[in-house]
Amino acid sequence: MLLERRFRELLEAAPDAIMQVDAEGRIILLNRVAEDMFGYSRDELLGQPVEALIPHELHARHAEHRAHYRQNPMTRTMGSGLALEAIRKDGSRFPVEISLSPSESVEGFRVTAIIRDTTERRTAEERLHKVQEEYTQRLAETNAELAMTNRELERANRLKSEFLASMSHELRTPLHTIIGFSELLGEKLEGPLNEKQMRFVQHIHKDSLHLLELINDVLDISKIEADRLELRPEAFDFAALVAESVASVRSLAEAKSHILETASDVPTAVEADRLRIKQILVNLLSNAIKFTPEGGRIRLEARVQESFVVVSVCDTGVGIPPEEHESIFEKFHQVGATTKGVREGTGLGLAITKRLVEQHGGGIWVQSEPEQGSTFSFKLPMSSAERKTQGA
Amino acid sequence: MKKVLVADDKDTGRELVRTVLENSGHQVFEASDGEQAVAEALRIHPDLIILDIHMPGLDGFGVIEKLRREPSFSHTPIIALTASAMMGDRERAMAAGFTGYITKPIRLGALRAEVERLLA
Repeated sequence: MLLERRFRELLEAAPDAIMQVDAEGRIILLNRVAEDMFGYSRDELLGQPVEALIPHELHARHAEHRAHYRQNPMTRTMGSGLALEAIRKDGSRFPVEISLSPSESVEGFRVTAIIRDTTERRTAEERLHKVQEEYTQRLAETNAELAMTNRELERANRLKSEFLASMSHELRTPLHTIIGFSELLGEKLEGPLNEKQMRFVQHIHKDSLHLLELINDVLDISKIEADRLELRPEAFDFAALVAESVASVRSLAEAKSHILETASDVPTAVEADRLRIKQILVNLLSNAIKFTPEGGRIRLEARVQESFVVVSVCDTGVGIPPEEHESIFEKFHQVGATTKGVREGTGLGLAITKRLVEQHGGGIWVQSEPEQGSTFSFKLPMSSAERKTQGA
Repeated sequence: MKKVLVADDKDTGRELVRTVLENSGHQVFEASDGEQAVAEALRIHPDLIILDIHMPGLDGFGVIEKLRREPSFSHTPIIALTASAMMGDRERAMAAGFTGYITKPIRLGALRAEVERLLA
């Protein structure tokens, strides 16, 4: 009797439903949890076939399983089987996990089943699954939106480039004849001009060339912004390019009585986009000439430092306050108070120069104090092959 | 005196190039579109052709394609004249069979040098 009571206590203390069925599948033992789980009283279930607790459509198959189990009895642990479904007295269904243990005694074959209601876990799993699905869905939607935005941006960029190409063409066509005819008149092959007429023609010619420079600057910065500026590297004589660049600004320097000098320990061969490097040199030289009061001194120095060419353009001009040393390389920045009325240009020159230097794998910087002159320096890799090594 | 055909749909552009060439002592013929350029070229057999790339209808590329098919034009120097400054344009022109390339706005010195180089 004591043993019986201990057994009963053990049975009722278990958190899971426990049942025992005989060889015919009739319920011969169950605990309180099982009564509560299925909504039957103990008396209603005792002696009933266990199929009473299984949805009807599964009765036949369950009987087969039972017969099979009778032939191959083995302990099956919780969760090792398939997802199972049970049915309550009121007809409602719920997911269960079942562990089975066979036993054979004088009373015959018995199977002990431990049954756990997994509704909560299933619900949690389903909720998690739903959240995951929603998240995946949202992610897919966001991706689709991003892809569309990307396509729109690409289209806008392409339209911008096409607009620039056609704009550049349209602006250059009339400039072509303005520049050409004013140069032609200035040559006086069509007849003499008096001094004043000659001066006027030169004004037209000079300003139309300036207008061309502005158009080129706007086109360059737009190409840079659209990532459409391509470099054409070639091996060239750096010293010759320096001489060529200095020659092209010499008349500007002479007009302001500047002394223009070069000191170069330049290598003979550098691999870069020759025209763009000339653009950089001419930009720095013309800035120096422009922002230096009459009678100044402008000095270009070029030397080799490790695998780089380092070029400095030093002037005795108005200088730049330290707080503007970085912003001066930004678009449309023009040194305000210190330029003393020198304000022609687009404010794009240094921004373009910086990007050109950087696209070559180099860098540009300035050292300057107001009224103490400025030194703009840049360095370029000697060759694109070495640039690749640097980048690696 | 060499015969030079200048094709440009803008009359001001044609007059500019004509003046420069005549100053250098050449005989200039004009065409104001691509079809006319082809017809005029076949008629006069110029020593040099200066072709604006951008012309309505048959453009510079169309003209050179037609002319290069004619055996008598396989070696005629043809200069491309364009107001476009986009990268790759020069390569495209040279690949199409042009022998010279000048961008607008032209510098008179550059035009004269290119013309003399190709007529030499």
